[in-house]
Order: sequence, then structure tokens, then C-alpha cells
Amino acid sequence: MDKTWNNKAWFMVLPVLLLVAFSAVIPLMTVVNYSVQDTFGNNQFFWAGTEWFEEMLHSDRFWQAMARSLIFSFVILAIEIPLGIVIALNMPRSGWGVPVCLVLMALPLLIPWNVVGTIWQVFGRVDIGLLGYVMNALGVDYNYVNDPLDAWVTVIVMDVWHWTSLVVLLCYAGLVSIPDAYYQAAKIDGASRWSIFRHIQLPKIRRVLLIAVLLRFMDSFMIYTEPFVVTGGGPGNSTTFLSIDLVKMAVGQFDLGPAAAMSIIYFLIILLFSWVFYTVMTNSGSER
Amino acid sequence: MTATRRWQIPLIVVLIAYLATAALLASVLPLKNGAIDWFAPLRAGGWMAWSFPTALFFLTIALLLALMAVWEYASPGGNPRVGILRFETTRGDRLFISLLGSAFIHLAWLGLVGPNLWWALGLSAVYAIGVFRYV
Repeated sequence: MDKTWNNKAWFMVLPVLLLVAFSAVIPLMTVVNYSVQDTFGNNQFFWAGTEWFEEMLHSDRFWQAMARSLIFSFVILAIEIPLGIVIALNMPRSGWGVPVCLVLMALPLLIPWNVVGTIWQVFGRVDIGLLGYVMNALGVDYNYVNDPLDAWVTVIVMDVWHWTSLVVLLCYAGLVSIPDAYYQAAKIDGASRWSIFRHIQLPKIRRVLLIAVLLRFMDSFMIYTEPFVVTGGGPGNSTTFLSIDLVKMAVGQFDLGPAAAMSIIYFLIILLFSWVFYTVMTNSGSER
Repeated sequence: MTATRRWQIPLIVVLIAYLATAALLASVLPLKNGAIDWFAPLRAGGWMAWSFPTALFFLTIALLLALMAVWEYASPGGNPRVGILRFETTRGDRLFISLLGSAFIHLAWLGLVGPNLWWALGLSAVYAIGVFRYV
């Protein structure tokens, strides 16, 4: 049976379109305007053309921040996605354990980002923090204030602690929606635990996994508050991600033009990666 | 029964609206030494720091979206097909791929060649035609 096409239905999305226009499109347009002009304040602008884009594209500082952000995002995805799936697979499906696990998983998500940063900033300190104190007591020379590797490990562990729960909850929602008939059929066929995961569970949670990957990539690539509170971008520039560098440039140095050009390149990269992830993951299942 | 849609009228309306808006924007530009200053702010000290080139850029994006709507009106369904990328794309997907790719072509040209972007624009047009033809 043919579907009924009624283009008047597009009017139903008009309110969302207006909201998005005011919350995203208009600010983005403003950034584009800033990116080709220079200002010395007082809302006076002078045409600069593509100068700021050239400056950014030839800037070591920009590419180093970009590399740090990309490495951070891929490390985060490589840890949080498998870990989230494993935890979700091992969570109980019935009984008193379900609400306990769900509440425990939801707790880190309820904590504001700046508070998470403060918690880990104190937690990791070698003088008063439990983590820093214990690590040094165990003979590990851990000091996130001085050592770039320690700073990276701290920021990564903090993000894993904060956001793996999101992946867990999404995967768990996908797993509990799988009808029992699939498991019964697998049991009759004598399928192994791995086969059940590979051929039933993973395909069934593919959609929620897509959402998890997209959310975690975009969030981790745009991360600002937590690393800013914990390390301030240091030691040196070792944890200065693109977002931190952007704020330093726009707010600290008031270089609105270069910061706007950087924002647009940043936005285009997020758009590209999100599209690639979305396309690959939505089409990998349709080929079956 | 397939009714023939009169898409020519919306197409003309869209093109006239585009040209009229561009002309209106150009008319508010200030003069500098007797000639139009194309790169001056559209309204000095105004909201969002609009300039004529950026306004024309967004107006052209809006024109492309409006042209896609006219195309959809003329030939509904989005023309989904599987191209060289081996996954299904509609016209809207192909426009998105064209615009995103064009942005990166321009950035690559700026970073690797220089600030003269006319060649990058030409390359983007060729790329977009390729996307609409083969993707």
C-alpha cells in the first residue's frame, strides 16, 4: 500500500525549527560574521577576509590542540563503549538489583560538570586527595599537576567515571527490549554466550549504540569544564583541548576573529565525524 | 495518475526573491570614495556584525534549500538511490555531502595554496556536480 504524502505535515516541525534557529543557527551566523572581520571592541568591525582562517590553518597551536582533542575523544570512545556494553550485559534483568544498579549508574550523570572537576581535582591531589595519596603510598610517582601523562590519565579516568554510565544505561535499555523468543531460539540451537552477543544482542542494540557513540564523541570532542577545573589545560599545554584553547583565545585574549575562525573549523570537524559515524552505523545494519 | 506540477512558477518566485534580497542588501551599503564599499558592515554597530559577503553567503545557502524544495515539489520522493559510496542517499543527503565537502575544499585550498578562493569555488562546483551525479 502506498503511503499518503502530505507536505502540510512539514508545518508541524516549524516550532522546533524556530527554536533551533534562535538557539543554534543565529549564533552560528554571528560566528561566521566574526570570522571574517576584526574588532577592537565597541561593536566596531573591520573586514579581514580569510585572514583568520589562514592564521588558524598555519598555527601549530591550533593543530596541537586539535590532535589532543581527537586523541582524547578516540581514547574515550575506545574505553567507554566496550566498558559500557560489558557492564550493561552484566546488569541484572529482574529483582531488587535492577533499581540499585540503575540508581548507581545514574548518580555520576546527575553531578554537574564543574563539581565533577572539583571532586577529581581534590581526589587526585598528592597532599590531601585520596587517589594521589594512595598512589604515592604505593610507590607510584603520581602527580597530575607536574606530569603530563598523569594529567591525561586523570582526565581520562574522570571522564570514564562520569560518562560510562550513559553508555551503560543506553545499552541496558536496548538489551531489555530484546524479546525472550530470541534467547529461547539461541538456547535451542546451543549458541554460545559470544554467539548470542554477536548475532542477537549487538545487532539489536546497534541503534542505541549509535546514539551513545555520537553523544560521547561530540561531548568528549567539545569537553571543557572538567579538564579546565582539574588541570587548567596544563601542565604546560598538555591537556589544552580545542575548547579550552578557544575560550583562552576568545575570552582571555579577546581575539574574536581568530576564535570565530577556529570555532567554524571545529564545528565542521564535529559535523564531519558525526556524519561519518552516523552513516557507517546506520548503513552497516541495512546491508544484512 | 501523475499530475504534472507547475514547478516553474515557484522557481521563478524563489529566484526573484533571492535577487531582490541581494539587491536590497547591496542598496544599504555605504559609499567609499564614490564607490560602493562591498566589505563595510551592513549597519555600523549593528546586531550580529553583518557584512554583505556573509549575508550573500547565507542567502545563497537559503537559495539552495529553496531550490531543493522546488525540486522536491517538481519531483517528490527525494530520488533515493545507491551510488558509488554503496549506501542510499536522497537529494538532501547529496546536498549536505556537497556543502560539507565544499567547506573542506575551501579550507584545504586556504591552508595549502592561498587566499584566492575562486579556484576552490570552481573545484567545489565540480565536486558538487560529481556528488549529485554519482553518489
